[in-house]
Amino acid sequence: MKDFRGAATDIIRSLWYRDENLCVLCSEGNGPICPTCSENYLHPELARCHGCGKIIPLEKQQCQDCEAGRGPKQLDKVVAWGHYCGGLKEFIHSVKFNAHPKRIRQIIGPFAEWAVSQLPAVDGIVAVPMHATKLGERGFNQAEVIASALHWELGLPIFQGVERIESRASQVLLSRKERLHNLEGAFSVRNPEYYLGRSVWLVDDVTTTGATLQAVAEVLRGCGIQAIYGLCLAAGREKRLVPSTE
Amino acid sequence: MLFYLTLKKNGNVSSSPLREWDKQDFGASYLSTPLPLAVIEEIKDQVQRPKPPDLWNFGKSTNLKQEIIKRLNTICGNSLVFNWEEIDPIALPHQGLLEEETKDERGVRFNQLVLARQLSNRDLRGLARELKIQEERVTELAHRNVLQGKAQWVSSVRQQGRGWQCQRCGEEDVEEWPSLYGMAATCRSCESIGVSTSMEVLYRDQRSLMESPREVNFQPHWDLTEAQRLASQQALQFIQEASEKKALLWAACGAGKTEVCFPSAAWALKQGKSVLFAAPRQDVIYDILPRLQRDFPGYPLQMLTGTSSIKFQSGGLVLATTHQVLRFWQAFDVIFMDEMDAFPYQGSKALAWGLQHALCQGGKILYLTATPSPESLNLIKRGQMRLIQLPARHHRNPLPIPVWHQARHAIEPNEDRSNDEWTLLIRALRREGPILVFVPKISWVRSWIQAFRKSFPDWLIDGSYSSDPERAPKIKRLIQGEFDLFVSTTILERGITLSEIQVVVLGADHPIFDERALVQMAGRVGRTRECPGGGVVFISKHISPAIKTAIQWIEGQNRRAMELGLLDTGQKEGSNEGF
Repeated sequence: MKDFRGAATDIIRSLWYRDENLCVLCSEGNGPICPTCSENYLHPELARCHGCGKIIPLEKQQCQDCEAGRGPKQLDKVVAWGHYCGGLKEFIHSVKFNAHPKRIRQIIGPFAEWAVSQLPAVDGIVAVPMHATKLGERGFNQAEVIASALHWELGLPIFQGVERIESRASQVLLSRKERLHNLEGAFSVRNPEYYLGRSVWLVDDVTTTGATLQAVAEVLRGCGIQAIYGLCLAAGREKRLVPSTE
Repeated sequence: MLFYLTLKKNGNVSSSPLREWDKQDFGASYLSTPLPLAVIEEIKDQVQRPKPPDLWNFGKSTNLKQEIIKRLNTICGNSLVFNWEEIDPIALPHQGLLEEETKDERGVRFNQLVLARQLSNRDLRGLARELKIQEERVTELAHRNVLQGKAQWVSSVRQQGRGWQCQRCGEEDVEEWPSLYGMAATCRSCESIGVSTSMEVLYRDQRSLMESPREVNFQPHWDLTEAQRLASQQALQFIQEASEKKALLWAACGAGKTEVCFPSAAWALKQGKSVLFAAPRQDVIYDILPRLQRDFPGYPLQMLTGTSSIKFQSGGLVLATTHQVLRFWQAFDVIFMDEMDAFPYQGSKALAWGLQHALCQGGKILYLTATPSPESLNLIKRGQMRLIQLPARHHRNPLPIPVWHQARHAIEPNEDRSNDEWTLLIRALRREGPILVFVPKISWVRSWIQAFRKSFPDWLIDGSYSSDPERAPKIKRLIQGEFDLFVSTTILERGITLSEIQVVVLGADHPIFDERALVQMAGRVGRTRECPGGGVVFISKHISPAIKTAIQWIEGQNRRAMELGLLDTGQKEGSNEGF
């Protein structure tokens, strides 16, 4: 009887709520990501800079910074799912600063699908580590949550051992040059032999200049890793393109 | 904070936040990947649970190491790679260190400050900053206490059957998210005092808060009135010998219920029992603090609120907001819970859970209120809570009865009301003393200040609300009697004593003002011996049931006090002179 009642409740619920699948980014269109948000934030029609993941015109390979040699150099390729603005930026803020890691599950399906279409298959996933102090404040590392969700979605194993040994100033207020310098010696690998000859996706929530990805990639290169692909939820967009909708 | 899973030679599973072992761990192995304590506890539970005999593999010895890794892979969904490492006996640098007694100055100080505490990792880091020692050192000191059986590590959010429960506040409705170690959960109920997730741990100190009984020099600066003496005796009797664990002190507003508890507190402290005065709001704490300091001269007093800069103090007498109480574990023999029906305590399961768990086994809670909730009145009816009554104020005058004044129009600020009939009424009230005007909405505070300044240009008028950055200094000036008129939301509804104050409630029929709020606001008037009367005016277009109930409630209290012979005056009701 109890089971019957439970099943009945589930059916009624699904009639009322569950099918009401709204867009994660705007809560208006059809979910998980509505066509409008996809057009505004995910830009499937545009290319990604191979060097730093930034959103660039389709005909280009690299952004201006990377062409000029100012981008990260240790990664084989970097891709970002969408443009760090509007609904996507709010979503990431809600995950990070309002402590809603559970919301990652709402986007992981389309994000994982997109990642597979953009990057070659690898041996495992590495999440950009967070320093213990910050982890204690926030309670979770959003990069780890994204990596875990990717693992659940795609079955790729997670590689550990990269540690953030020093807590540095947040990258947010720093210039490109300062960002690269700020992270020197911030990361280390506990089990270098493990990474020898392997290939990984290096996952973070947001990349701007690629400095954090670069710093982690550097210590992984030191372990003799074969290939590193950066994968982020969001990145900036080439400035030249900006006179568009925003 | 993550832990290392250690497998001893005898098959025992243990955990440590440090990758340091002592001689007892000789021959043991550990997993090089640190794990959340919740995961290790689950493994421990699974591995050490008695199993039915396995007939298929009968006689074969099971490989515990393989079994643990197999189970870990199931929990973590094969996401991680685990390796066993042997503890090298030669590389045991800290032989016996973890079992030694802590002797250095900061270590000793640490141990004084963590007594009977329940601290998150963030709290421990804060303590490290306060003591100016490294975070790793604090972890080491804490873990040393755990090894010596003086404390425990507990997962902050723990799996309970098919659900989760926050171990700090008892919340079961948590948010789940994917982690490296399978599903994790975050508690949102107590996040205002720091994050609580299943990846984190709480340090629970199991020692008594009272290091050693100190001399108690109790010097009350007042004589108890007849009414207070009766209530105080009953309170002491409850603390000393009652079989009930809870009691309710139902007092008239301004009857001096806090002081009634002081003799009981003094008795408990003399017995070496720890005492907590808790209240939901900071205002009340700041109001009680000087009274405790005055009557318990020289006794160390811990005062903890969300904004107090020193988070760690020591001593067996604690004054804290209810949120801070979540940082104690079975710490108090006696709890005096003031204003139990006030926000945010009222209706907060988390804070009620916290208060229950801050109480020692066999401890007593005395709830103090002027406006008991229906639930607590029910408990009294069922005999689960003792009732102590205090119906009269110390000056033996009856409570002023509120007067309802019908406004001709709906109450709205920003109109020209220089000739309005109740402007005259307010002017008349001012002759009796400064006026406290309560409004139902924050947005009204500023507009009413403007409107009143226009109507009474020669008066000093200001106002405040909960999020006002100037709140504290303004209230200080208000207490010093600087203002002619002060507009406020319900922040000043409780616990504050202002000499000669008169009260006006604008929009008294607003749904936010229930009978309890109205009784509290009316209770601001006539609290001092020098000025035992005063006026209370409820102004609204309609009379609400709450207004009627509040007036009946106050009249009832006066009647009870009269019957018990606790009033001096021949007059039946409070002075309403001036109208």
